Amino acid sequence: MTGRKTEDNEKCILTGATGFLGSHVMAGFLLKGKSVVIMGRSSGGESLKERIRKLLRWFGIEHLEVLLEFHETDFQKTRMGLGVNEFEKLYKRRLPIIHCASDTSFSEKSRDRVMKSNVENLSEILNFAIKSRAKFFHFVSSAYAAGTDSIKCSEAPVISVNFNNVYEESKAYAENIVSKRCGEGNLPYTIIRPSIVYGDSVTGRSLRFNALYYPVRSLQLIRDIYLSDIKNNKGIKSSEWGIHINHEGILQLPVRIFIPNEGKINLIPVNHFTESIFSIIENPLNKTYYHITSNNPQTMASLVKYTERFLKISGLEVVIGTPSADEMRNPPEELFDYFIREYRPYISDRRIFTRENTNRAVSGVLPPDLSYEIFERCMNFAVSADWGRNLFNK
Amino acid sequence: MNDILKTAKNCRHYAMCKIDFLDTGLCASGMEKHYVSFYPQGRMDLYAALAEERIPVTEKCIEIADSCDLCGKCDYQCYFVTEMKPSVVMNALKEHIRLYLDQGGEVLMPKHDNILEELKGIVGEYWATNDRAVALTYSHDPCPLAEPRMPEYVIMPYSTAEISAVIKLLNTHNIKYAVRGNGSSVMGFVMSEGAVIDLGRMKTIHFDEKNWVVKVGPGVAAFDLQKAAVNRGFRVNVAEPSALICANIMCSGIFSLFSASYGTAADNFVDAEFVGHDGEIFRLSDKSAQNLFAYRKEASGIPGICSSVHVRLHHITSDESAAFVPFESLERALDFAKDCAMRRIGLAIGVLGGEYISVFLSPTKKLAANVKKTFRDKLKIEYMVLVIGDRYSLRSIKEMGYNYFDNRMIKILNLGLPSLTSAKWLDLINDFTGDEPFSYLGLKHFPDLAEAALAPSPAQLVHDVDPELRTFFEKLYSRPEMTDPVWLNMFRIISARMGREKHVLAIMIYLPIDNKLITEINNEFKRIADSHGLKNDYGFITPLDNGKRCVFEYDYYLDHTDPGERKKAQQAIMEAGIMIEKHSSETGTVTWIRYVFGQGFSRKESFLFSTDEADK
Repeated sequence: MTGRKTEDNEKCILTGATGFLGSHVMAGFLLKGKSVVIMGRSSGGESLKERIRKLLRWFGIEHLEVLLEFHETDFQKTRMGLGVNEFEKLYKRRLPIIHCASDTSFSEKSRDRVMKSNVENLSEILNFAIKSRAKFFHFVSSAYAAGTDSIKCSEAPVISVNFNNVYEESKAYAENIVSKRCGEGNLPYTIIRPSIVYGDSVTGRSLRFNALYYPVRSLQLIRDIYLSDIKNNKGIKSSEWGIHINHEGILQLPVRIFIPNEGKINLIPVNHFTESIFSIIENPLNKTYYHITSNNPQTMASLVKYTERFLKISGLEVVIGTPSADEMRNPPEELFDYFIREYRPYISDRRIFTRENTNRAVSGVLPPDLSYEIFERCMNFAVSADWGRNLFNK
Repeated sequence: MNDILKTAKNCRHYAMCKIDFLDTGLCASGMEKHYVSFYPQGRMDLYAALAEERIPVTEKCIEIADSCDLCGKCDYQCYFVTEMKPSVVMNALKEHIRLYLDQGGEVLMPKHDNILEELKGIVGEYWATNDRAVALTYSHDPCPLAEPRMPEYVIMPYSTAEISAVIKLLNTHNIKYAVRGNGSSVMGFVMSEGAVIDLGRMKTIHFDEKNWVVKVGPGVAAFDLQKAAVNRGFRVNVAEPSALICANIMCSGIFSLFSASYGTAADNFVDAEFVGHDGEIFRLSDKSAQNLFAYRKEASGIPGICSSVHVRLHHITSDESAAFVPFESLERALDFAKDCAMRRIGLAIGVLGGEYISVFLSPTKKLAANVKKTFRDKLKIEYMVLVIGDRYSLRSIKEMGYNYFDNRMIKILNLGLPSLTSAKWLDLINDFTGDEPFSYLGLKHFPDLAEAALAPSPAQLVHDVDPELRTFFEKLYSRPEMTDPVWLNMFRIISARMGREKHVLAIMIYLPIDNKLITEINNEFKRIADSHGLKNDYGFITPLDNGKRCVFEYDYYLDHTDPGERKKAQQAIMEAGIMIEKHSSETGTVTWIRYVFGQGFSRKESFLFSTDEADK
């Protein structure tokens, strides 16, 4: 792709381009030769442009920077923090908007921040979109905005009033605001709801290492602690909990993973997400909800098998139920439980997501099942990127 | 400058060679002859002066050099505090004198002096001297604001009556004097061209348990008093371990983390005895005595010589323990500390910075630097609030929603520090902790995991200690008290290493626990020191009077042997002083400790609070 700026009628505005999903959408547009107007903010001493450049290098498409247009914005400020002229010029272009910006924290302690970011910050971007009479407003939400009141989750407005965490709740509120404001402002919109997104199923590459990666990373950490104890401290602590190197030379790590029910984990690779979103926005249907989800979610048992094989450990056991208060938990179990506490609702999730709208938009293309080969590819990349710490050298 | 001379000149005068804090026993000659000249500290000064030909070889030089038996105890003590090994200097001093005498060098004998004879008549032949070798060891300190002053006489009285007679005699001859503590005040207060009175022989300790007091002589050091008190099941509020109790109260009043509950200044004693500037003896409780409880905001001298003090005794309960509560910001740490103080939770409370914590945990400078970085960068700990209390206090902290490093975790961390600094898994701990910092400390089995991960042991902790001393330090850290934060705080060992890298100049102020004000002053202290290229760091904050006020220490560090750094420090202190005065006049609630010096017997309320506004 050589990078020649496209006309405005082929452009769109993208928020959240420095995040996981947004950056892949941006890269996808650029690889299709389409220009993108990036709205975002500087962070940690880096300007928006610097942050995006870093990502372009990661995608190996630095040469396509010419297709980008940057606007430093702050959604908490009037006119999104833009000057009067800049704001005016921008809204007059009537560009479609893909709003990916989001705070993905699940922690109740971060409630204020999450609500501000995911709900309150919608106000200014929607003001802009309505004033602009944008061609379309695509809101990237989450399949889990569906809440917990119903197992069957259809591609329709949220009816639940109960949620697993503040993230789900904020996304439900946000969807409601988007549909209401867009309806009032005659602004066509879509709500796009991915489930849990992991790395690229073909290359294994990823920019984020939470969700699917957390349990594996947790167990790697626990494994390394006890391998070190065995190697450097005669395994004194390991032996207290029955942790040892077994006859096959691999670490026997007795960890019971308690899950409340026989639920599953709904995972999709990021390349499927981007392919789907492009199909959706190519021919979007107003007021339509799209589930970018898997029809064949993984069980925890299969992921545990993958993890044992990948980390060269044994002893992991999935237990359906909740441990009693006085049940003896060993240190690795307690630590693992702590590490994945925020993801607990998603590793035994019984919710089923329908995807008729999406199937129509993507002509029936489904995400690939998470095979061990894909899992290994993704985890190898994660390890080589030191779970994100060494990301931009990759 | 060769390494031996460099070591000699680097003695910080912290007097840790004069207390037996490592249970190694003390320098035998120092114990016998009492003059600082006979302790490693004095020999360091003496060797430096001889090597630089600043004094002649005198009769006492020979006695001082000969009396060192090269036992090496000073290496353990000094290495613990400053990472220096004084025995090379002790050896060099002996060698210097031997060579001098072998080459037929002349030994300067003391000149006859009528006043000296009179002084000897009071205190005994051995306990007054005008020998230049002894005088030299009383002539300077590392304070950048103090110029050396060589005293004519050094006198070591043994009783209040002797002090009284000495003062009267000095007054008769119009001779100025200074009273010396264990080290050299390190504030420049204890030098005089006339006489220096060293009270180091007056080490009496008499308990009156029925009245919850202990009568302490002016030569008693904090460590020794605390040891005696603890042996009887009590605790006293003390300052730095080598500081003399009477001198410390006289100077600034005693404050420590325990001041959060025991108070400071007049809170710490019941009565005291003085020898006034006229040589007359009076007690604080005398109705006719001058009112030392009163306070006036002025830089003042001492009201006399404190010859004994009745120090208050406190309970120790068997369930005392420590909680180190970690925080990412000073503001949040202050909020918590204030909350504890207001609710009277805990006996000792201190908001400690990364420098303080890492230096106290680490036996070497190199490890301390790595630990500080690890705490800040990997554990995301910028500040810790240390609370010492009984089990009910610690339970309250949990109920307040805070997780903390308890005694067991601190021991694991301490003995596993080298592994901690290289632990890759710390990064993951923080990533997983996410928006709930330090929540991992709430895991029941976290100490087990930390033990497995860090493999803590005394051997591991001391792996980069000087090989000659490693065995000793390994044994030392095997002793439970050396990793017990309650013991380390009670005996003030926790702050003993603050001047390890360079001499530390503590700037102290009293002020309200007002986050904005403290942050502003903290930033100003930093800005001033940075502008002069001086190492500097936040020290500690301890709430006083149930959190209505606090004492705040900020530390500037300097190489006291470097004239350039001394000059920079002088300038920085001056600017810091101007900044404090500005805040003091703007708020009416900030008091620089400079105005408390010499008034440490006053009521704390009189310098913490002002009645001016209410009187208007």
